[in-house]
Amino acid sequence: MGCAMNCFEARRDFRAFWRRELSSERREAFLAHLRGCPGCDGAFRNFALSAPVMHSDVTPERRREDSPRVREAVPARRPAMAYRATARRREWFSISAAAMALAAGVVAAYLSVSAPVGNLNDVLSQQEPQVEPVVDLFGPGTAQTFNQDGGFAG
Amino acid sequence: MLAIARSVERRWSATVKPDQELIAEALNGQAGAFAELASRHRAPVERLCQRFFSDHELARDLVQESFLKAFAALKTYRAEMPFAAWLRAIVINLCYDELRRRRRKPEELVGDFTEPELDWMQLVNTASPEDIVAAAEERRNAHDLAHRLLDMLKPDDRTVLVLKDSEDMSVSEIAATLGWSEAKVKIRAFRARQVLRKHAERMLSAERRWAAR
Ligand SMILES: [Zn+2]
Repeated sequence: MGCAMNCFEARRDFRAFWRRELSSERREAFLAHLRGCPGCDGAFRNFALSAPVMHSDVTPERRREDSPRVREAVPARRPAMAYRATARRREWFSISAAAMALAAGVVAAYLSVSAPVGNLNDVLSQQEPQVEPVVDLFGPGTAQTFNQDGGFAG
Repeated sequence: MLAIARSVERRWSATVKPDQELIAEALNGQAGAFAELASRHRAPVERLCQRFFSDHELARDLVQESFLKAFAALKTYRAEMPFAAWLRAIVINLCYDELRRRRRKPEELVGDFTEPELDWMQLVNTASPEDIVAAAEERRNAHDLAHRLLDMLKPDDRTVLVLKDSEDMSVSEIAATLGWSEAKVKIRAFRARQVLRKHAERMLSAERRWAAR
């Protein structure tokens, strides 16, 4: 291997890796480093939780299978180690479930916001939540309209 | 080759008016000039609003409000600054104010996760880095969960983090835009990364314990 990477370099490359901006050689070195360094591997996984907002330029559309109605029918959660196979089965299941939801009509589309099904609060609240009191500094704003094409309306 | 490039450039400059020209036309009351300006700058404004808010409706409202504000303040615009940077400052201040206005209650921040969110956390815990990146691109719940995580930050911290790490703004640019000292920007950025890392660790280790039950 031509260029071994150190931890500092690997962590500096998180964003470029996420955005697929690394050269293939650099990418290989990056992945090799992560495979051999649990610290950087863990740091990358932490990074990956916020990266979809922080470092991706597109927001994926909410999919139909994310809606509570469809998810009710999703098979029970399987152990972590079986993730990949489970995920693939679930994809197929989701496709047929989405088709059914489509046929069911507007209801599934209406329920586009995911409802909570798992509660990790007990686990999370074992440590103190890092929060502040709510301060409402501003009153509600007035709505004005501005057309998609840049013109004013109303 | 050079000739082709020049002719393309000529055609481009013949058809595309510079921002400054559109601004002058808009100030002269020419209909459509500001609309063209807005449509030209809409994408980065939308992207920035979406980094602050997961709610599409709200993000869209903020985009519209940003352009309304820009239109109303167009007379104050000075050509020494690129229009995009001037507009961005308006967007940032609107998003920051909205963030402070919408500061959620502590109990809303952590707790219930949806099945797709749990799936995504499980994938982040167990899949290879390449698979994580590929999966994030098509999962809306990855985006939603990232917003939940970022919602745990104080508005000041989140704003600085977005501007510095996502928008690549310098400390001095952020300080000038928000009217803060550079020291405050640096402290907030440092703090934001620390808090974010702590919460991400906590979420992932909670998911591991959840999965192991
Ligand atoms: Zn390392």
